[in-house]
Parts: sequence; structure tokens; C-alpha cells
Amino acid sequence: MREKIKSLLKQAELYRSQGLYNEAKESYERVKRIIQKSKQLPNREKLLANISKKIEKVQNTLVRLENAKETPQMSPEVNRLIKNLFSKTGSGDKDAAALEGAVALAKFGQFNDAIAEFRRLLGVESQRVQAAKNILRCLLAYKSSDDAFDQLSEWRSEELFTDEEMAKIKSFFDGLVENKWDEKGAARSEALTGSSEMDEDEFLDISAVAITLPNGDQIELDVSFQSGNVVSLIIDKKDEDLIKDLHEGSKLEDVHFYSPIAIFRGSGVITSKTRIASGPKEGDYSMDIKIDSL
Amino acid sequence: MAVFNINKREIECKIVYYGPGRGGKTTNLEYIFKAYKKQVKGEMVSIDTEGDRTLFFDFLPMDLGKIKGCDVRVQLFTVPGQVQYSSTRKLVLKGVDGVVFVADSMEVRREKNMLSLKDLQQNLKEYNLSIFKIPLVLQYNKRDLADEGIPIMPVEQMERDLNRQLKVPSFEASAINGKGVGQTLQACLRLTLQYLQKQLKWAN
Repeated sequence: MREKIKSLLKQAELYRSQGLYNEAKESYERVKRIIQKSKQLPNREKLLANISKKIEKVQNTLVRLENAKETPQMSPEVNRLIKNLFSKTGSGDKDAAALEGAVALAKFGQFNDAIAEFRRLLGVESQRVQAAKNILRCLLAYKSSDDAFDQLSEWRSEELFTDEEMAKIKSFFDGLVENKWDEKGAARSEALTGSSEMDEDEFLDISAVAITLPNGDQIELDVSFQSGNVVSLIIDKKDEDLIKDLHEGSKLEDVHFYSPIAIFRGSGVITSKTRIASGPKEGDYSMDIKIDSL
Repeated sequence: MAVFNINKREIECKIVYYGPGRGGKTTNLEYIFKAYKKQVKGEMVSIDTEGDRTLFFDFLPMDLGKIKGCDVRVQLFTVPGQVQYSSTRKLVLKGVDGVVFVADSMEVRREKNMLSLKDLQQNLKEYNLSIFKIPLVLQYNKRDLADEGIPIMPVEQMERDLNRQLKVPSFEASAINGKGVGQTLQACLRLTLQYLQKQLKWAN
């Protein structure tokens, strides 16, 4: 047991040193559970107190990382680099490149610097409409729709744009607001984290699944058909016993999904299980699994 | 996408190091920066945050000299590995010519490797690129940890998990001491340049 504890502690320390705080915490917690169970262990209370302290420390680090600002303001040098690296215009037009650079800054959440550049470009005839649109987009993303609307009103009263230009900018603004870009954080969230929802069209092709049965055995079955996140399996009648404990609504917690690129672990729910009544597969079973997570 | 200046006979391509967070992508670039001084042009830029996690990307420019009559420049990038930086990864991946996927050999990171590979596949798809067609090599990093008694996955298992269908070159590595880093980069550059030669026909 002593060796087991030593080994787990070593793992925990290494995970911590590598910045793998969740894994470190899990190892410390395993040590804690072992010590808690070992009533005869000398210095048990002291060991437990030490481990608890370590867990707390790791937990604090995790919280600190979680709360860290996602897009801190970068130095001018870094922002210059972002502009250079992510604005490759083929035209050789300096102002078009500047606009692309500012868009890149906005995409990296550097809104202040991006807006400053867009404002400069308002004075450049060929870029001013695009620059104005991007200013509004930035304001909606990191301030509010009120700020964006105030800006629009200001431009209108200053007569900075021609009527035709103003109509284009206004129409763009309306489109943004209609698309709920006015919700503070929504645009930024999309720019920085992307959507986390599962999109049926984006599902990988699953060629086979391995299901862990309630008795702990694992069976591997070929997928006969897939539609989005639902895979259909045909189970031969001679394997009927294997699936006797699986029913419609059964939750499958540990499923291996075999895709053309890798095996993914996830979970699913059996949405249907029926015995095929006629045809060449008569007597076999058809089972549909809805993939919950991959 | 590589930039090819036909008049100056210059080509600039982009290699991206991809993989799960804390897997050793930045360490790969740090080693390259130290060990390939002759080819490295300029400073390595790391944009990291709390806990040395890559926030946006790392960047390292290299100059490989003349290859088949063309000056070849390479930009090496890493992406942030943490799940929440999905869009940043997508931005950095834009215009990629070759990918090094740095997988973590530790058993506890098995699932993270798989999810990151899936993320790469999806992000490439958004740029109309196929993971099966893009020049790609896999690196199984942190092999040295076995000596410290840390449970790591056998290479065979990592091949099954990650390379069963891809069947791309793969390399064991310990980026922290440089083992396998050069080999991985060279293989990726070779594949990338062969691919670009075919695409751009610059050697003809």
C-alpha cells in the first residue's frame, strides 16, 4: 500500500508540474481515499491533512485558471505581429492590408487596437465603409448595441458618409442586430470559443460501435446506417442473448465509436430495438443508438 | 496556403503544431529555436497566459535556404490546446500547409488526444481541407516519462487510437530533451514540400 501511495503521489506531482491540474487532483484524491480506508496507517491524520492541503492548492489553481481573462490586452508588438501574420492580401494595397490586419486583431479579441485602426481607415475612401461596419461589429461584440447605435447616430449627424454609404452601413447594422449580435458577449463568444452545440451535419462517420453491457462485457457491432447522430445496428439472431439486457431508453455510458480517423469514447441512448419481421434479415434485431456525446 | 513568389523564386509555407493542451507543442518549438539556430530567422514569439498556457499561438520563422532552385521559408505555429480556444485554433489553422499533431503519451491524456484529433479534422474541414490529404505527421511525445514510473501508453495503442485510418508517419519523442523533435519536423517538411511541389510545380 505504501508503494501504491508513493507511486500515486509521484504521478500527482508530475501532473501538477506539467500543468495537468485536473489529473493531479484526481491522483491526490485517490491517495486520500486509500488513506481514509487504511485505519491502521501510522500518521494517518497528518497524511490526510497534507493531502487535503495539496488538493485545495490544486483546486485553487484550477479556479484561478478558469477565471483568467480569456483575451487580455496584448502589447503593441504582439498586435503588430498578429496584423502581419494574419493579413495576407494579395493585392499589395496597403490600406486593404491594414483593414485585414485590423479584422485579425478583432478576431483575436484586441478590440481597442482594432477600433483605433478602423477609425484611421475611415479617412481612406476605398476602405471607409468596411471600416465603419467593422467598428460597429466590434462595439456590438465588446460593448453594447447602445454604443454601436450611438456611434451610428454620431456618424449620421457629422455627415461623415454619403447617403449611399450611410444606407449600406445602416443596413449592415440592422442585419447584425437582427442576428442577435447585440447580446453582449455573443459575438465575442463565437469569435473566441465557437459553438459547443452538436451539429448533426458535423457528425463523423461512425463505422462501428463497441458497447459495454450491464454485465461488464464489451461487444463490437458494425453500423449499418447512420443519420446524423443516430446510428443503426443490425444484430444477428444468434447474438440475441448479448443484447437481451438492452432496451429502448437504456442509457449507454461507455461506448467506443469507431470513425475513419480514430476511436472516440462517448455515451448514447437506445432509441429503438425491434425484431426484423420479414425479409433476408428476418429474426435479426435492429437497434438505433442516439449519440449523446463524443 | 503557401505564398509563392514566382519572380523571386521564393516560397513561404505554414506548418502548424496541433494537439491537446499541455502536450508539448510549445516545447517542440522551443527546442527547434535552440537547436536550429542557423535556420531560425528572428525570435520565437510565445503568446501565453496564466500557467504558461498558450493563449493565441507561438510563432517561429525559419529559412531553409534553396531547395530545387527556390528559397524556402517556413512559418511554424502552435495552437492553444485547451478546449475553450476552439476559434483561435481555427484562426491559426487558416492557410496551413502541413500539420504536426503532438499527442501526449500519458495514459491519462488518451481521450484528450482523440478529441483533439477530431477537432483538427473538423477545423480542417471548415477550410475545405481533408485530414487524409493534408501533409500530416504524428508525434507521440513525453516518452521519457516511462522512466519516471508514469503510466504511458504503448506506441501500438497510440497507433490504434490515432493512426489506424490515417496511416501517416509517426514518431516517438521527448520534446523536453529534444529527442524526436527534429525527426518529426523534417518528416513534416518533407511531406509538405513534396505536396507543394506537386501543387505549385515549382521544381519544373
